[in-house]
Amino acid sequence: MKITFGLKKILGREKEGLLREKWKFDSKNTLLAPPTICDLKNTGEKNILFGTKEGKIYSLDKNSNIKWIFDAQEQVDQIEIMFLDVESANSIQASPNIYDLTGDGRKEIVFGTEMGVVYALNSEGKPVWKFKAEGSIRGGVIIKDVDGDGKPEVIFGSGDKNLYILNAKGKLINKFEVDESIESMPEVMDDKIIFGTNNGKIHCISFEGEEIWTFKTKDKVLAQPVIGKLFGGDERYIIIGSTDQYLYTLDEQGALIWKFKTEGAIYSKAALADINNDKKLEIIFGSCDNKVYAVDSRGEKMWSYETNFWIVAPVIVSDIDDDGNLEIIAGSYDHNLYVLDAKGNYILDYVPGLAGVMQQTGSYSDITTSEAGKMTGKKIWQYQTEGIIVGCAMIDETKDIIINTQKGYVNNIGYEKKRD
Amino acid sequence: MEKTIKRVKTYIQGLDDAMQGGVPAGHVILVSGTAGSMKSSVTFNILYNEALNGKTGLYISLEQSYESLNQHLSNMGLRLDKINIQPVKNLTRIEEVIHTVKNNSTGSIIVVDIGTIRKEIKDIKIADNKSWLNVIKNVVKKVKMETNCSLFVLDSLSALYTLSRFEDPRVELFYTFEFLRDMDLTTFLISEMPLDESKYSEYQIEDFLSDGIIHLRLTPFRRNIIKEIMVVKMRATNCNNDVFSLEFKNGQFQALYGGQNPLL
Repeated sequence: MKITFGLKKILGREKEGLLREKWKFDSKNTLLAPPTICDLKNTGEKNILFGTKEGKIYSLDKNSNIKWIFDAQEQVDQIEIMFLDVESANSIQASPNIYDLTGDGRKEIVFGTEMGVVYALNSEGKPVWKFKAEGSIRGGVIIKDVDGDGKPEVIFGSGDKNLYILNAKGKLINKFEVDESIESMPEVMDDKIIFGTNNGKIHCISFEGEEIWTFKTKDKVLAQPVIGKLFGGDERYIIIGSTDQYLYTLDEQGALIWKFKTEGAIYSKAALADINNDKKLEIIFGSCDNKVYAVDSRGEKMWSYETNFWIVAPVIVSDIDDDGNLEIIAGSYDHNLYVLDAKGNYILDYVPGLAGVMQQTGSYSDITTSEAGKMTGKKIWQYQTEGIIVGCAMIDETKDIIINTQKGYVNNIGYEKKRD
Repeated sequence: MEKTIKRVKTYIQGLDDAMQGGVPAGHVILVSGTAGSMKSSVTFNILYNEALNGKTGLYISLEQSYESLNQHLSNMGLRLDKINIQPVKNLTRIEEVIHTVKNNSTGSIIVVDIGTIRKEIKDIKIADNKSWLNVIKNVVKKVKMETNCSLFVLDSLSALYTLSRFEDPRVELFYTFEFLRDMDLTTFLISEMPLDESKYSEYQIEDFLSDGIIHLRLTPFRRNIIKEIMVVKMRATNCNNDVFSLEFKNGQFQALYGGQNPLL
C-alpha cells in the first residue's frame, strides 16, 4: 500500500511581470476569426492580417499602421441582394492563409468568403486570382503540396458539400462531393486530405478523391484536425474535436484510439506540445464548457482551467516570458485573455487534522490510498479586453500577443517583466 | 410609479378593453388559428385602422396573392381607397414603393406579395435554404429604416417554414424573434394551427419566444360554426383570458363575451 498523503510536491510557479497593452486598433467592424501573423515580403517585417464580417482584409504593420485594405465585397444585382443576409453576405469567417503561390519570394494571402469566393492577393493586397464555389466558405483554406509535384494546392471545403482542390493559379483541379456542408478547415497528411463535415463525419480522402476512411461523431465537426506523433514514435495520429463535446484521437487508418469527453462543443483545432517533458505530446484545447483542457497522449486529463464563458478560438502554446517553461494562451468569450502555466498546479484537498481522521473507524484505508489532491489549471496572468475574443496569434520574435475581438478591436498585448 | 406602456389597438371592440387597451407596442405577437378563423383579416384590419390614423404598416404575404387579399378585404367593406396601399410584386420595386410611402401624407400599407415574386423567379437558383427568410428580413429592415413603419404582419410563419428549412429551429427562431424585437416594430406573426388545435405553432418554441399569443378558433355549434378569440398570453398586460365570440359587423370586429362555451 502506497501512502501518498502529504508526499506530493506542489508544482505551482510564482511569476513576476504583467501583460500590458502596446496598442489597440479599431477596425470598426465585427471580427470573426484570429489574425494571421506573417512576413509577406521576406524583409523581416511582420504583418498582421485579418478579415472582417463586412468582407475586408486588413494588413497592419507591427505598430498597427494600415498597410492596405482589400474589399472582398462582391457586386450583386438588386434582386439577388434581397436573398442574402446582407450583414454577413461577404463575411470572412476564418483566418487568411499565406503561401508563396507565384514563386516570386513574396507570399500571397488566400481566404474564402461567405459568398463562396476564394481570393488570392499579392503582398500589396492586389488580387492575383479568385475562384467561385457554389456555396459559402466558412472554414480556412489550406495550402500544401498534396500530390508531391513540387507545386502547392489550395484546398477548402464549402457549404455546397464539396471539397475543392485548386492549383496555385486558382484553377480547379478536382472537387469531391460529400453528403453535408463542410465548415472545417482540412488538414493534409502526405497525399491524403482529412476534414470534418456538418453531419459529424470525419473524412480521409486521397488526392484523386478516393475515400480512404470515414469516422462518425455525433454532431457537426467544425474544427480543423491536427496530426502529430503523440507517443514520440513514428506513428502519427489525428486529433480532432467535435461539437458532440468529444475530442477524438484516431490512428492513420481512422480507427478510434481514445476519446475525451468535455461538457461543451469543441470548435477549434487543438494544440500539441510536450508540456511536461515526457517526450510525448500533450493536447491542449478549449471547449464551450468554458474550460481549457490539457490531456496527455493516452487521453487522460492532466488539468483543466475554467473561464467564465466559451473558448472557441484555438489556444497558443509558447514560452511567453522566456523562462524555459511553456505557457498556454487562451482567449475566452468572457472577454479575457488567460495565460496559464502549461504544467498546471497540484492542489491539496481540504482534510481536517490528519490524526483526527485516522482515528475514525473506516477512514484509514480511504485516506491513505487515495490522491490527496488534484491537478488543476493555473492562471498566471489575465488580461481583459473590450469584447468577445474570437482568436489570437503571437509574433514569435517579440512574443507579443495579437488579440481579435468580435467588437472589431485588435489588441497588441506584450509581456513586461516589471512595471515601470 | 408604474411606467405607462404604449399600446397598439387590435381594433376588436371588447378585446382591447380586455387587454388594457391593446397589445404593447414593439411586442411580437403570435396570431394562431386554423384555416378560416380570420387570422389574416384580423391582422390586416389592425394595419388598416392604424393607416387611417396616419401610420405605416408592412404586410408580407407568402402565399395569398395581393389581388386575392385585396378582393377579400374589399368584400369585408374595408375602404382601401382611404389609405395609401402599395403592393410589391417585384423586388426591384421596393425602393420605388418606399419612396412613394415617404412622400405620402396619408397612412400607408406596403403589401409584399411573395407568392407572385416566387412565381416570377421560380427558375432562378436560390443560394441556400435561408434565402426567403433573408428576403423577409431585408424587406423589413429596408422599410423600417426608410419609412416610419411601426407595424408588421407576416402571413404566415407556417408558409415560411415550407420555404426556408430551419436546421436548428430553436436557435434560428430565437435570432429571428430578436431581430424583430430589435426592429422595434409591433409584429403579428400568423401561425396556422393543425385541425385538432393541439399546438399554437409549428415548433412550439414560438410560444415561448413570442410576447403574446392570440388564438382564433372555429367552434361547431348546432348546425353552425362560431368564430372565437382569446388572449392566451400577453406579456406586460393584465388581460382577461376568457373566450370571446368574434364577429364582424358594420365594418368592425367585435369580441362578445360569452364565457367558455359558444353563445346560446
